[in-house]
Amino acid sequence: MRSRLRRDIVVGLILFFVLFFLPTLFPKPALRDFLIYVIAYGLLAMSLNLLIGLTGLVAFGHAAFFASGAYTFALLMQSGRTSIPLAMLAAIVGTTVLALVIGAICVRLKNIYFSFITLAFQMFLHSVILTWVSMTGGDQGLQGGIPRPVFFGIDLNNARTLYSFCVVTFVLCLAIMRQVSESPFGYTLRMIRDNPERANFLGVNVVRMKLGVFVLSGAMASVGGIVLALFVSGAYPEFGFWTTSGEAIFMLMLGGTQLFLGPLAGALLLEALNHYITIYTEYHGMVLGVVILVIVLGLRRGIADSLFAYVTRRRRGRRIDDVKRPILQPTKNEPA
Amino acid sequence: MNLEALAACLTSASCAVTQISTALIVGTLLFLVAAGLSLIFGVLGVINFAHGSFYMLGAYFAFTAYKLTGSFIVALVAGSLGAGIFGVLFERLIISRVYGRDLLMQLLVCYALTLILDDGVKLVYGAEYRMMGMPAAFAVAPVQIAGAFVPGYYLFMVGIAVATGLLLWLAINRTLLGKTIRALAINPQMVGVLGVNTAALYAGVFGVGSLLAGMAGALAAPIRTLTPGIGFSFLIESFIVTVIGGMGSIAGAFLAALLIGFIRAFGAIGFPWFVEGLMFAIMALVLVVKPTGLLGREAA
Amino acid sequence: MSKTRTTLSRRKFMGTAVAGTAAAITGFPHIAGAQARVIRVGMPTILSGRVAMLGNSNRASAQIAVKAFNEAGGVNGRTIELIDRDSQGKPDVAAKVTRDLINNDGCEIIIDGEASSGAFAVQEVIRDLPVLCVHTCSETSALSADPKLFVKTAFRCARQGIHDAVAGGTYAAKVAKEKGLKRWMTCSPDYAYGRDNTAEFLEFTKRFEPSVEVVDQVWPKLFAPDYTESITKILQVKPQAIYSALWGGDVVAFIEQASLYNLFGSSTFFSSSIGDPPVLTAIRQIPEGLLTAYRYSRQYPENAGNTAFADAFNKVAHFDPTNWGWQTYVAMGFLVEALKRTNGDTDGKKLAAEIAGMRLQTPLGIDGTITMRESDHTIIGYPVAWSHTVPKAPFLAGFEPVAWENILSHEAEWKKSKGYV
Repeated sequence: MRSRLRRDIVVGLILFFVLFFLPTLFPKPALRDFLIYVIAYGLLAMSLNLLIGLTGLVAFGHAAFFASGAYTFALLMQSGRTSIPLAMLAAIVGTTVLALVIGAICVRLKNIYFSFITLAFQMFLHSVILTWVSMTGGDQGLQGGIPRPVFFGIDLNNARTLYSFCVVTFVLCLAIMRQVSESPFGYTLRMIRDNPERANFLGVNVVRMKLGVFVLSGAMASVGGIVLALFVSGAYPEFGFWTTSGEAIFMLMLGGTQLFLGPLAGALLLEALNHYITIYTEYHGMVLGVVILVIVLGLRRGIADSLFAYVTRRRRGRRIDDVKRPILQPTKNEPA
Repeated sequence: MNLEALAACLTSASCAVTQISTALIVGTLLFLVAAGLSLIFGVLGVINFAHGSFYMLGAYFAFTAYKLTGSFIVALVAGSLGAGIFGVLFERLIISRVYGRDLLMQLLVCYALTLILDDGVKLVYGAEYRMMGMPAAFAVAPVQIAGAFVPGYYLFMVGIAVATGLLLWLAINRTLLGKTIRALAINPQMVGVLGVNTAALYAGVFGVGSLLAGMAGALAAPIRTLTPGIGFSFLIESFIVTVIGGMGSIAGAFLAALLIGFIRAFGAIGFPWFVEGLMFAIMALVLVVKPTGLLGREAA
Repeated sequence: MSKTRTTLSRRKFMGTAVAGTAAAITGFPHIAGAQARVIRVGMPTILSGRVAMLGNSNRASAQIAVKAFNEAGGVNGRTIELIDRDSQGKPDVAAKVTRDLINNDGCEIIIDGEASSGAFAVQEVIRDLPVLCVHTCSETSALSADPKLFVKTAFRCARQGIHDAVAGGTYAAKVAKEKGLKRWMTCSPDYAYGRDNTAEFLEFTKRFEPSVEVVDQVWPKLFAPDYTESITKILQVKPQAIYSALWGGDVVAFIEQASLYNLFGSSTFFSSSIGDPPVLTAIRQIPEGLLTAYRYSRQYPENAGNTAFADAFNKVAHFDPTNWGWQTYVAMGFLVEALKRTNGDTDGKKLAAEIAGMRLQTPLGIDGTITMRESDHTIIGYPVAWSHTVPKAPFLAGFEPVAWENILSHEAEWKKSKGYV
């Protein structure tokens, strides 16, 4: 356990320094832009993995919390009465409450029904954003920019400072998520994922545990939304559309659900793919589709998961069984 | 909210008939798409997120066939069959490889197919909007019912959709093949042991599901604009219908599709700004109260 | 499937993936020095999704203009390279793509082919990175009218809401008076453009003809496949006239579906967008006598230059120019003229100084010119006219222009009422 903690701290520090100093080495603004997107969507994907990978809850509507963070933060800042840290805190708390309400209803449902009800809540929220024009700007999104007043001597109007601020926020969130997933609570969640009945027998309040992780994951997703809103200086309804949730799931599958940093790798890969494919062709959908098919049918699991399995196999010098385990028990058996 | 207008409409025969016909027009087309989705889930346990693409394929195939032959019947058949054949291919080549894998993998391949087909259609047909046009046989004055006017084509469309739904229900509930398929849904191993070619049955069921979506696309082609990606907007609505009606239940899909149709038709008069939200609210409510849907059977 | 093949392809694939990621991290390709010989013009626009066709029409126009420019030898030995990129219609992506085009690809000029919300996002990028930018699609008046949004190097070469509203109001009031149309209804898409456009049209129609009364409004969703519930609602209300801001594929579907109910037999139909040529050709049997605002027409303005543009465009795109298409073409005209005057210097401020107030000679202007107004960087004197549909190609006839003096005086008044001046 000790050595694991040490290892994770080292990995975390390396990640932090690499992210923090990369733009110093390669001072192109485009690299910063790119990495901020990776951070924002990485947070969305990693927080979603707390539900999918850790607890086995396949949520389809996770972008609801991403959007709620972005909109709450942006609206508070536009009101001109709060500082950035305060607005961030309020947006996280607000989203936590929202996640508590939605979660309390959703976590009672199992399997695909859980997936669908999260989707329903997300689309409900999306239709509220579109309908409540006076508040949210409707389809045009929140316009007019988000002011970035100086706080504690930090001026986020400077692009480099903004980037560093996002990196610090990101690594802090990673530390929190890592702590949670390695805590007794995290191991209880794994037990719920692998055998809910057993967890129940052992006196675990399954519903309460699920709700706990649902709320935490929603709060973390909201930080991703805040980062993006801060960066693009606005908030748009697409943040809360089901395709954004789909993208997060895609990142997760691309990177893998087994490793803690897998979803981040997925976010990095998808953003890189998007970036390059759109440069070379307008048929990016087709290219992306083919890439997905290659991964799903060829690799049969996420890239980070494949690497992990490969490394483990080599280390042990023999084939071990798949580390892979179905996230949702398939509803039907394999046809003959 | 304008409940007076709603009440006034309900008490006026012509208004009520017009809006009921609207509900049927909106609902039956939705039913065809959702029935396919529901059938595929019920038997194969696959949530076909690519279902909207088959609607699109049906519409484009019908468009091409109509342009070549000028016959709407040919167009309807071409649209339905074309989508059905694509469905069988998709099932055999791709979906069959992810049976038994987790849900997210199935989801991803469907998503991939949607992306590929949308761009594929754009490559072949271009990004311009296309319209098939109303076949001459239907270019007649609207039929008058109780002071309300209903276009002839819509009567035909609703008729075809209802007849197809009925046939499907009969086939599943009253024939030996249907019995086998129902058995397949519950215990595939046993069906396989009894000497039935389950792989062919799976492909067939997926094909029929896609055919239904394609038929909806072909029926919509004379009155709706075709652009790459038209299946997209249909997808979420057909999910709402499938969830409300019960995953796997044809009758449930019919009921739920009509419900959505009525909400849209009368919502347009009484509470236009809440129609969208209400559909999702009902979906969430059904999931909370009876997760298996109105007419869904309890999970085995 | 053989084991070795799987491993191999897997390794190969991972190699590619890793290399791609490494490239993404260590720096991007396409780095061009400032003031390279080739002038790179970046165009963020919508090339995928429901409105891909409009983005395609931007691209076709820009390509025609670039080709002509390069074949004529460019300016001072400098030719133009056009780099278009898809924003998928998402405002935040539009901003990101624009930044990339400038920072990575070395674009010294931006021709912004984004719809409204994207254009606002691009405008903010240009504020930070002040290259020359011409918006060619946003019709939202605030973009140029609101002094808070003003950016020195940004221009709008597109028709805009307030001009169209005055023109539409003038024409609609005239028709309403002649035919005695008092009971009106609207059917517009439920999003910002649809709502604003409809409100402005009604405001001026009522101002010019006070007897006009709006009895009801329906708001179908943007990109809705089916309008039956809106159509039957209109049938219940039985208005004498209908105004609709539906556009593109939406208005095509609406016309076909409404024809089934014989809606146009009983109500006069005013449309903001049927006049776009691809809409006219997509509708199979266009009812006669629908009234529409000008979007583009190969017959109007009636001159050889305009027809030549339409033909050249059709050769590239395989359909007639859209509203976005002609606007981008004229924007390229402004750009080329400005480059000639700066002798190929692409400095944002210098180009902006040339374009501001420029009166461009172009066959697409009604008097052979279109002017980029100096005060708010937006064009005036472009075609605004209403016409009616006829069953045979090119489907429009009877163009009735609206006097620009009239439009400008009402625009000035409107600006004052909004607190913009």
